[in-house]
Amino acid sequence: MREVRYIVDTTLRDGEQSPGIALGPDDKVKIARLLDELGVYEIEAGIPVLSEAEEEGICRILENKKRAKISVWSRMNVDDVKRSINCRPDIIHIGTPVSYIQIYSKLRKNKSWVIKNVLECVDIAKNQGVDVTVGFEDASRADIGFILSLAKELKKVGVNVIRIADTVGILTPSRTRELIKTLVSYTDMAIELHIHNDLGMAVANSLIGALAGAKFIDCTLFGIGERTGNCNLYDFAHAADTIFDLGMSKKQIRQIEKELYDIFESIIK
Amino acid sequence: MLIIIDNTLTAIDHSLPSKEELHMFCQLLLTIGVDIIELSAAVYERMEYLPGKGKYYLNISSADAMTKRDLVNHPGFCGFVSRHAVSDERIIPEIQINDPREIMKLIQMRGCGELRIVGLDSLLHYSYDRIMRDIITMLPGSSIQFCPENHYNCASALAVLWLSEYGNKIISSFAGLKNNAATEEVIMTMRLSVRRKPNSNLTVMPQLSRLYEKFTGRTISCRKPILGKKIFQVEAGIHADGIMKNPATYEAYDPGWVGQKAELVIGKHSGTKAIRMKLSQMQLPMPDEDRIIMILKRVKSFSSAKKASLNDEEFVRIVRGVLADEGSKIHS
Repeated sequence: MREVRYIVDTTLRDGEQSPGIALGPDDKVKIARLLDELGVYEIEAGIPVLSEAEEEGICRILENKKRAKISVWSRMNVDDVKRSINCRPDIIHIGTPVSYIQIYSKLRKNKSWVIKNVLECVDIAKNQGVDVTVGFEDASRADIGFILSLAKELKKVGVNVIRIADTVGILTPSRTRELIKTLVSYTDMAIELHIHNDLGMAVANSLIGALAGAKFIDCTLFGIGERTGNCNLYDFAHAADTIFDLGMSKKQIRQIEKELYDIFESIIK
Repeated sequence: MLIIIDNTLTAIDHSLPSKEELHMFCQLLLTIGVDIIELSAAVYERMEYLPGKGKYYLNISSADAMTKRDLVNHPGFCGFVSRHAVSDERIIPEIQINDPREIMKLIQMRGCGELRIVGLDSLLHYSYDRIMRDIITMLPGSSIQFCPENHYNCASALAVLWLSEYGNKIISSFAGLKNNAATEEVIMTMRLSVRRKPNSNLTVMPQLSRLYEKFTGRTISCRKPILGKKIFQVEAGIHADGIMKNPATYEAYDPGWVGQKAELVIGKHSGTKAIRMKLSQMQLPMPDEDRIIMILKRVKSFSSAKKASLNDEEFVRIVRGVLADEGSKIHS
């Protein structure tokens, strides 16, 4: 029997961040409905703080959902988390920079600040009864010691899933295997893997990560996403469905790609 | 030493370009860090002679036995490759293995000084670590060229795995033309991960892309890793801000390495910092914070209605509209 791996579809969040596309609420609701019917485990529906229209789209997706869990993406920022709670999603995903370049160069903060802030954000969401997953941004360039210590702190406050984001898309197959195996060995949390395709290895690295123990794999329709895109859902299913039960077939994915082609045509040529 | 062999020029016999273009393509492949270029007999004939620089293989798979004997006597090539079994030690035999469970077939190749293994698309479905090690063990003393194929979109990763941990020679083609690893992806990955040839000049990628498109009649996708024309566009507020502070925050490598530059696109995902940056780039007047916020609101609304990002003209129109509205309020 094939082991189960769960697809987290981020077409409506990271996918939509592809320059050149701006989905309206109607498009978002339609895409989410089809992904839900397809059997996607979790749909990352968007970023509530982005605009009122974005928030409206997310709320409508939540009203219409059937089986999939609906998550929203939030910066590690108390106000953003509060805005996310207003949508009453199944999951709030809190993006947390973990590489030194992100912490010290972009945020101009330090590791203690990151730990304090993310724990505060988790606490606010959990107190409102919303489940939380935490995304380790730029994990592929981060200090594994910091990743493990942060994971330990998060586990203590009830976070059970951490997302390892290869934000700039530089993971190699060997590094992916090593990173996921380390996390599986040293944390008792479920690992979600979020790979970008900058070196043309998103599908292979996602597959290697799943083989190394990652339970959740992030994908997008047509592989859309920033720069060169994210792991392409169809391609991942094509590569992985003889090994893992993904809860959907390649034929079904092709069918919804066909139905949604017009919406994405401008950015997938 | 890690060796990258590019076989793009064995796949264009149907539309042979000019001699000059072929020589230029070879020169550019060497410039980006390819070690050996493999040619078909037809391409070699069109080129008339081998360029002075670089190492070359001649693929003689399609030639008949008689012609093969003539071709292997050709000077200048450092190797000859053939798919068909030929009892000539000057020829590198190529063996296709589609299913990793068939690797036992390789035992018959024991004793070959050098050989090429093509296929193994589904290697990641199995214990790839053990299989790659078994291949090495099964062929002691042989120099193995690995040419993973791309049925599962994993060829570049397999080539990089082989170079990183097991062997030292892989076969690839530009943009993955031959359904194998993409040369540019392998080169960039090895440069970033183990600093292979850190001084090779990758800025010629756009020139290579243009020649490739002309030779093959194919258009390279604007999102194609390394080569795509839009891969350095950035719109999301959080990323535009990061790139503004330090480009390395959100880019795996400097776009200038591959002859491109980062481009700020304005749209639904932009933030106030991106608006300021765009105003500055376009040398437009910098309004106060309230007007920046107003511009941003109109940008988001326009972008959502258009269901796309804004072009520069649309952005300028919005900026002028906000500034004009505010001006008229002050004077009314």
